[in-house]
Amino acid sequence: MTRGGRAALLIAWVGVIALLSFYIQQELKISGDLRLFMPSPKTRIEKLLLEEVGESPASRLLLISLDGAEPEKLADSSQELAAALRADPQFGLVSNGAASLDAIPEKLLPYRYLLSSTLDHNRLDQTFLHNQLSERIEDLSSPAAAVLDPLIPRDPTLEVLKLAEEWQPAKQPQRLYDVWFDSTGDSAILVVATKAAAFDPDGQEKASIALRKHFEETRVDPKIKLTVSGPGAFSVLMKGRTQSEATWLGSIATAVMILLLLVAYRSPTVVVLSTLPIASAGVVGLAAVSAVFGDIHGITLAFGFTLIGVAQDYPMHLFSHQHPGKTPLDTARAVWPTLATGVVSTCIAYLAFLRSGVIGLAQLACFTIAGLAVAGLTTRYLLPPLMPHKARDYGQSAGLGQLWNAIAALPRPRWLGIAVGIACIAILALGKTPMWQNDLGQLTPIPKPLLETDAKLRQELGAADIRRLIVVDGASANEVITAVEALSPKLDALVRKRDIESYDHVARYLPSAAAQSRRQSALPQRDELQASLSKALAGLPFKAGLFEPFMEDVAKAKSLPPLTADALAGTPLELRVGGMLLHHADRWSGLVTFGGVHNPAALETLAADSGGTLTLLDLKQASEDLVARQRVHILWSLAIAAVLLTLTVFVALGRSVSRMGRVIAPMAITTLLILAALHGAGVSLNLFHLIGLVLAAGLGVDYALFFEGVEDDPLEQRRTLHAVLVCSLSTLMVFVLLSFSTLPVLRAIGITVSLGVISNFVLALLLTRPAPGADAHAGA
Amino acid sequence: MDGLLTKLARPAPATTPFVEVRFSKLLDQPIVVKGQLEYHEDGALVRAVNVPFRERTEIRGESVNVERVGHSPRRFSLKRAPELRSMLGGFSAVLGGGRANLEQDFNLTLNGEESHWRLALTPKSASVGKYVRDIVIEGHQSDPRCIVVTQPDQQASVMLVGKAADASLPTPLARDWLDHFCDTAGI
Repeated sequence: MTRGGRAALLIAWVGVIALLSFYIQQELKISGDLRLFMPSPKTRIEKLLLEEVGESPASRLLLISLDGAEPEKLADSSQELAAALRADPQFGLVSNGAASLDAIPEKLLPYRYLLSSTLDHNRLDQTFLHNQLSERIEDLSSPAAAVLDPLIPRDPTLEVLKLAEEWQPAKQPQRLYDVWFDSTGDSAILVVATKAAAFDPDGQEKASIALRKHFEETRVDPKIKLTVSGPGAFSVLMKGRTQSEATWLGSIATAVMILLLLVAYRSPTVVVLSTLPIASAGVVGLAAVSAVFGDIHGITLAFGFTLIGVAQDYPMHLFSHQHPGKTPLDTARAVWPTLATGVVSTCIAYLAFLRSGVIGLAQLACFTIAGLAVAGLTTRYLLPPLMPHKARDYGQSAGLGQLWNAIAALPRPRWLGIAVGIACIAILALGKTPMWQNDLGQLTPIPKPLLETDAKLRQELGAADIRRLIVVDGASANEVITAVEALSPKLDALVRKRDIESYDHVARYLPSAAAQSRRQSALPQRDELQASLSKALAGLPFKAGLFEPFMEDVAKAKSLPPLTADALAGTPLELRVGGMLLHHADRWSGLVTFGGVHNPAALETLAADSGGTLTLLDLKQASEDLVARQRVHILWSLAIAAVLLTLTVFVALGRSVSRMGRVIAPMAITTLLILAALHGAGVSLNLFHLIGLVLAAGLGVDYALFFEGVEDDPLEQRRTLHAVLVCSLSTLMVFVLLSFSTLPVLRAIGITVSLGVISNFVLALLLTRPAPGADAHAGA
Repeated sequence: MDGLLTKLARPAPATTPFVEVRFSKLLDQPIVVKGQLEYHEDGALVRAVNVPFRERTEIRGESVNVERVGHSPRRFSLKRAPELRSMLGGFSAVLGGGRANLEQDFNLTLNGEESHWRLALTPKSASVGKYVRDIVIEGHQSDPRCIVVTQPDQQASVMLVGKAADASLPTPLARDWLDHFCDTAGI
C-alpha cells in the first residue's frame, strides 16, 4: 500500500472510531439500577422481592447521625435539618423524634376521629368531655399553654396529639432536648425516607448531595459531623468507590501496559498501532449494547473493558511474529488461523452469559463478543497495511533463544497434568468451605466499620428488621387492610412474649373501612353532642360558643366516606401508607415489618397457622434461593459453552483428538487449579469468579493454540515465545493490580484471572508444546 | 441595674409562694392557681401547684418534667416551652443574680426607683418572641412582687410572688385590679 493510502486508511479508521464514540455519547444511557445484575424472578415471592421490596419503605430509609458537639447544639441541628428536609420534595418521611402536630394535613383533620382509637374505648358523652375539658383548663394554666392554646377550640380532646403519639415508631431511642439521641447521648439521630428507591444510585446520589447541602446550611456549629447510613447511602458509596477505584486502577494499568509494550517492541509506532484494535473493540462493543439493549449498566461498562483487555493480545501476536523478509500482510495470514480460533472460542465461552437470564450479564456478553470479534478482524485486515515493514526480528533474540532451549529441555510430564487434576478434585471434594457464596450482601464493597455503624444505628432506632416481612394479599386495598388489622392481636401477643420487639403495618395509619365506620357510628349526632357539651362545660370558665369548630368537625366526621389510600395522595401519610400497602396489577399486598425479631420460629408458626393467607418472606433466604437457581442455569450454559469451545478447537485443529487434547488440557486443569486454590483459601465462589474463570479459560486457549501451532523453525519458536510472554505479562500485571482492589467484585476477578494466567502459561509450556520433530501443524 | 440584681440574688435554696393568674382568650374568667416556687442549689426550678389541682413542674437543666395527679408524668424539653424558658431565665437569673445570664436571652430595661422598680425583659430570639412579648418584673427594694408574662396576642399571666402572694383577690378578678395592685404592692 502506498504511503498516501496508508495515511488515508489510518485517518478513516480513527475517524470511524471517533464517529462511533460520538454516537455512543449521544445515544448510550448508563443505568445504575442494580437489579439489572440480579437474576430474573420466577416465583411470586421473587417478583415481590425484586420488584416491590426493592422499593420498600425500609430500603428507602437513610439513618442519620449528628455528633461532634454538645447535645443541645446537636438537638438544634437535628431540628433545623429535619425542617429543611421536610421542605425538600426529594424526601418523604422525616423523623427526628420531635412530635409534630402537622402529621395530618388540614383537609383531612375531621378524619382524626375515624383514625384514632379513642372512640374504640370512649364515647363523646358528658363524662368523657367533662374530664377532657377539665384537663384542658389545667393545660391552659400549665407551661404548655402557649403551644396547646390554638388547638383547643377545634380539638378539645387533643386527638391530633394522640395520633401523633400513636404513629411514633413502637420502639424509640431516648429523647434529649426533644429529639432522638443514641443511648450514650453523644449523637442525635434522625430517620429520613428518600423518594428515590434504594436501587436507584442516581436518585440516591441526588438525595445524598441535597442532604449534605441541607446539613451544611443548617448546622449550628461547624464541629458537628454528619454520618449517613442505609441501603441508599451504600449504593451511592458503592458507585463512587467503584468509579474511583476503576479509574485509578485503570490509569496505572494503562501506564504499565504502555511501558511494557515500549520495552518489548522498542517502537512508539507499534504502541500506538496496538491501541487501534482494542479502541475499535470498545466503541463497537458499546454501540452493540446500545443498539440491542438501549442502555448499559455501569458495572457492564467497568467489567466489559476489563474483559476485552484480552483484545490487546491480538496485535501483539502480529507484532511479535513479524520479521524482515515477510510482509506484515503475510504475517497476518500466517497468524490468523490460530488467532481466529482463539477469538471464536473465547466468544463461544461468553455466549453462555448471553443466555444467563441476567440482563447485566447478557450486556456484558454482547459487549465482549462484539468487541473481541471486531478486535480480531481489525488485527487481521486493517492493522497489517499500517505496520512498518522494517521490523525487528524477535527470532534473532539470543536471550529468547536460550530461554526456548531451556524450555525445550523441560520434561513433558503428562502425568503431572493428571496428578494436578486429581489433587484439585480432591481438595474441592474434601474442603469444608461452602462452594458457593449465596449472600448477595457479601458482594458489597462497603467497608466493615460502616456496616457496624449501620447495625448500631438500626439497633438504637429499633428500625425495621430488613430481613423478614409478612405479606398479606388481597383483591382490594381495604381487604388487605382488614386482614392486616385482624392480625394485630396476634402480633401484640408476640410482642408480649418478646418474640418480636415491635411491628408496623398499614392499619396503624389507615384503619379498615369497617373500623372507621364503627368509630363513625360511635360519634354522636350534632344535637346529642351539643347537649353533652353544654352539660360538660358546666362550672368551667370556657367562653360560650368556643367549641363550634369542634362540633363542626364531629358533624363532618359523622358523614364522611371512610378514608382510602387514594385520598392520601400528596399528604405526608401517603408515603407511610404507600410503603406498606403495595399495588401491582389487580392485586394488593400489605407488608408487616418487624423491629427486632428474637424468635423467627414464632413468625413461621404464625404464617403456617394462617391457612395460606399470610406469607412470611425471608428476604435473605429468598435472595439466596434466587442466586442459587440462577447459578445452576449459568453453570449449565457454561457446560454447553465448554462443549462448543472444545468442538471449535477440534475442528480448527484438523479434527485431531490428540492436538485438541493438548490445547484444552492446560485450560481445563487451570480451571480446576483456580477452583481448588480459591476453595483451599476458604473463598466461596460468586458470579464474578465465574466471569473470571471464563476469561482465564479464553486466555488459556489462546496461549495453548499459539504454543501448539508453533513450527519447528527455532526463529518462529522464539517469536511465538515473545508474543505469548508479552501477552501473558501484560495481562498478569493488569489483573494483579485488580486483585489489590478493595472492591470484592474487582478483587474476585483479579485474583481468579491472575492465577489463571500463570497456570495457563506454565501448563501450556509443559503440556501443549509439541514434541520436537512432531508434525505440529498438519492440516493447519 | 447591677446593684438591683445583686440585691435580688439570694442564696439557694430559696422558696417563695406564688399566685398565678392566667388570662386566656378562650376563657371568660382567668384561671388562678396557687403554689410555691422553689429555686434549688443546682439551678433547678420547681413550680408546685397545690390549688385548685396538684401539679409539679420541675425544670432541671434543659428538661421539663410535669407530673399531674392521675396522669403519667410528661417530659419535654424547654425548647418546646419558650414561655417557661423565659420564666426560668427570668427567675434563676433574678434569683441567681447573674446579669450576664439574663442578657444572653433578653434585652433588659430598668426604670423606677428603689422603692418601686420595674425590670422589663424582652426576648432576643424570634422563636421565643413568637410566644412571649415580654416579661415585666416589678418589685420593692430587694423583693420582686409581680411577674407579668405577656404573649404577642396580649394574653398574659400575672404571677404574684413573695408577700404579694398573700393578697386576697377579689372576684371577679380583672386585669386592671392586678395592674393596680402590682403598681402599689408593698408601698
